[in-house]
Amino acid sequence: MSVSQCAFRSVSKLYDKHVVLDEVSFTLPAGEHTAILGLSGCGKSTVLRLLAGLEAPSAGQVLFDGKSVSEPHRVLKPPHLREVAMVFQDLALWPNLSVIDNVLLGLSGKGLIKKEAEKRAREALALCTIESLAERKPGAISGGQQQRVALARALAVQPSFLLLDEPFAGLDLITKTTLLEEIATLASEGKITVVLVTHDPTEATTLCRSALVLENGHVEETGTWEELRSNPRSEMLRVFCSRLG
Amino acid sequence: MISCLVLERPGTWRTIGVTALLFIAVLPAAPLVWSALVSLASASVFAGNAFQNAIENSILLALCVAVVSLAIGLPFGVLTALYEFPGRSVFFALATLPLLVPSFLWAIGWASLAARLAPFVSTTLSGFPGCLVVMSTQGIPLVLLIAYAATLALSGSQVDAARLAGGERVVVRSVARYVASPTLLAAGLSGVLTLSDPGPGQIFGFPTAASEILISFSARYDFVLAGRQCVMLTALVLALAAPLVFFSIPRLASEVLVRQSRKVRRIQHQRLAGVVVAALGIFVFIGILVPLLGLMLPLVGGTAFFRAWNELSHTAGNTLGYAIGAGTIATFLGLPLALCAGRNDQLRAVCFGVALGLLSLPPAFTALGIVQLAAAAPAWADLFLRSRFTVCMALGLRFFPVVAVLGLRAWGATSATWVLVASLHGVSLGTYLRRVTLPLLLPVGGVGLLLVALLATADISTVLLLHPPGERSLPLAILTVMANAPETLVASLCLVYVTAAIGLLTVVWTIAEGRNV
Repeated sequence: MSVSQCAFRSVSKLYDKHVVLDEVSFTLPAGEHTAILGLSGCGKSTVLRLLAGLEAPSAGQVLFDGKSVSEPHRVLKPPHLREVAMVFQDLALWPNLSVIDNVLLGLSGKGLIKKEAEKRAREALALCTIESLAERKPGAISGGQQQRVALARALAVQPSFLLLDEPFAGLDLITKTTLLEEIATLASEGKITVVLVTHDPTEATTLCRSALVLENGHVEETGTWEELRSNPRSEMLRVFCSRLG
Repeated sequence: MISCLVLERPGTWRTIGVTALLFIAVLPAAPLVWSALVSLASASVFAGNAFQNAIENSILLALCVAVVSLAIGLPFGVLTALYEFPGRSVFFALATLPLLVPSFLWAIGWASLAARLAPFVSTTLSGFPGCLVVMSTQGIPLVLLIAYAATLALSGSQVDAARLAGGERVVVRSVARYVASPTLLAAGLSGVLTLSDPGPGQIFGFPTAASEILISFSARYDFVLAGRQCVMLTALVLALAAPLVFFSIPRLASEVLVRQSRKVRRIQHQRLAGVVVAALGIFVFIGILVPLLGLMLPLVGGTAFFRAWNELSHTAGNTLGYAIGAGTIATFLGLPLALCAGRNDQLRAVCFGVALGLLSLPPAFTALGIVQLAAAAPAWADLFLRSRFTVCMALGLRFFPVVAVLGLRAWGATSATWVLVASLHGVSLGTYLRRVTLPLLLPVGGVGLLLVALLATADISTVLLLHPPGERSLPLAILTVMANAPETLVASLCLVYVTAAIGLLTVVWTIAEGRNV
């Protein structure tokens, strides 16, 4: 059964007594594409890790469809059962596996028979236009192609949530824009909720309709781009909006 | 002013440096190889039927040890790297202890315990099974360590990606698949290393090639035969190790020599942590505590700590001297080797491959070479060829690959742009070495020195063949007194040795974990 809504309720996260998130609350509606903005070290990636279940909160709850999936120091629903896929900043491709095996790795917890898993993996590769690279190793393809492999791995699982942790850093403008538009289309077609962590105004506005600004571990402001641009409260968002022209 | 850019630039000095340093490591054995080759012309190829049988025994033992080490070391190396559990430093110290305590001590422990239990236990353990148990106890930690290091070459997000895909089952399966090739090599290496160890074979009455060499040298006093057998054994070791190293070195070098800046974050997983603790507990119990019990049982009837103290006071200086001397020489050779190889993939792979090859050579190979060199050298050369320094040098040359591998890992973790920035700001080579390179390599050198010191202490063959009269080390003293001295004295000495080794290993593991060595 697919998850439609995710919410953070007074979530705090501490690393060695250092507060990264402090009583953060927000809701991600189903099918919405949201950008998480903020200065480096403000806890953007931590939000994704908490949402994915890779970390447990120090306080508060993470809710999926109103049901608690993470409680203080406890992950109630393990990551692979959350219908969440993630594209990591360093892409996290396994160098010893071929492109198709990397995508199959993403499907390994789905309980599919081998033939079906392979069909899905090839479909995902085709969707990302890299089916011809299936047997190559990640080390033997370009950066943009690697990005597509990571995306194919995420899309193959047909997730409810697609988490993107600055995956486009270092890509040229044309490749980046093409990829962003493709993701936007695929996510809309599949009714996938997208959460994008980024510092780049182009990425954020191309893919997302709304944004959430984190500052000093708090949610400083949230809303659609129109709402945020009409009255930016944080310095960060003012600079961000000025770049958009 | 020499620019610090030289540290990142390619140059022939790298190849020359690497070749020279590796050449130094094998140089002392050259006379032995030469004389053996000359004498081979007039001798049978296998230096006698007994030696041929011993070689067959050795190969069978090596194969079995490799299989057992792989089956146990791989899964638990992976689990240990992935999951948090309480007391990991002490567990690691205990699990790696067999590598650093002479195998003959474990063999004595088993034999002594078996003799006290029932005749059938002694019969079961004698010969091949006893050797397999003791040698596997030494092989498993090696595979475990390589699987552990290879797992840590993965980034945290690679592991998280697998976790997201299918939970811990997929994480463990994927990591095991990733580390399979380096651990396979490590298992092969652990098998090859048994070929050079004479201890268990002698104690359990299972003739091996290494024990035959020792008998030829110290019982028959036939240096030429011992030398020829040693060269034979070395050729066999190289023949077995070379293909393994050749085929897997490129991947192994890229996996073991890498240190991730974004490390795998060990997670709390009650069930899997429980499995790790239980498995390591069983290994520590069977591999260490049971033979230790056998070693210590005589202490029930009374201790001989006063005599042990006496023996200790006579040997402690030499033991420490040999250990620290070997560690220092190994560090002074190993770190420059890493520096010369730098970021050059080919040189790094060559260094790593040759380092593994050197480690797998029989210790008697270098030692007998030095003995032969000393026999022909003038009196003034005694300082280098017949002194305590000689022992340090032989041990340092034998174990410097350990420091070299740690150094290569450390260098691989640095960024090439550091030097570019320094050179842009006009930092001289001397300042860069002092302010950046040295602080980076110092902890690695420290851990390497301590590790080599421990390994050198456990190496009986080299000290036995090279120590000047009256300058024994503690393990050698145990070996030489065990046949005639009271059991309580041997047990007391063993207790002192093992306690010191566990203490030092805990320190090494704590530093290594804290500094990401």
